[in-house]
Amino acid sequence: MSGNGSMPPAAGGDVVELTIPVKADLVVLARLTAATVASRAGFGVEEIEDLRLAVEELCLSLVGADDNGRLRFAYRRTDDAVTITCTFEPEGTGNQEARTGDELSLRILDALVDEHGRNGDGREATAWLRKRRARSTL
Amino acid sequence: MDQTFEITEDDGGSVPVVSVAGEIDVATAPQLRDRLQARVASGSSTMAVNLLDVTFLDSTALGVLVGALKRCREAGGDLRLVIAEPRILKVFEITGLTEVFTICGSVDEARR
Repeated sequence: MSGNGSMPPAAGGDVVELTIPVKADLVVLARLTAATVASRAGFGVEEIEDLRLAVEELCLSLVGADDNGRLRFAYRRTDDAVTITCTFEPEGTGNQEARTGDELSLRILDALVDEHGRNGDGREATAWLRKRRARSTL
Repeated sequence: MDQTFEITEDDGGSVPVVSVAGEIDVATAPQLRDRLQARVASGSSTMAVNLLDVTFLDSTALGVLVGALKRCREAGGDLRLVIAEPRILKVFEITGLTEVFTICGSVDEARR
């Protein structure tokens, strides 16, 4: 289910932050962190795999391999969910803008997470997702 | 990381098979794209892409496979996928691409 674009409420929980340069071979760090935070939050194996793919698509909805800048992630673990925000901070003074996400990425996010959305256009944008833990693992 | 990413090619059967192992993501997908484009350019209009040893696949990988399928069909052939892992198949299902590709459960089936 898509979000309406507003940011998720930042209420409580533990937050892990990660900043990486926009380099294709470093996006794996965003996946590894998502998997670790989800595991520590008690998510099941299938949910962790969903989150790994979802965070990758979150990145791809903002940047392409040729973009320059940084991706700043915040992983928030609460009692029943993991919320991930990803902000693209372009480098330089050119016309580089955050991407708007292609159809495949959005379909994957729709299917794998409970909510997702996006704030901002143009040079700096933030995309976010939230996945709740399945009731059977609560 | 992508240390385990590997592409191998087998021309021994009736249909050439390109086998991929590891994670196909934004870092590794360009390598697969280049190999598939080279195969089509060299005359392989029908081939199978074996994804049995793929452990992760994102929308970049899907884009590469859709592009290769298009080139194969324009050349009068087809591109078949070999998938057995439910987690990998799920990505094709949620994007509707199971309706687009011929998906086989084994390399032998893809070669028929």
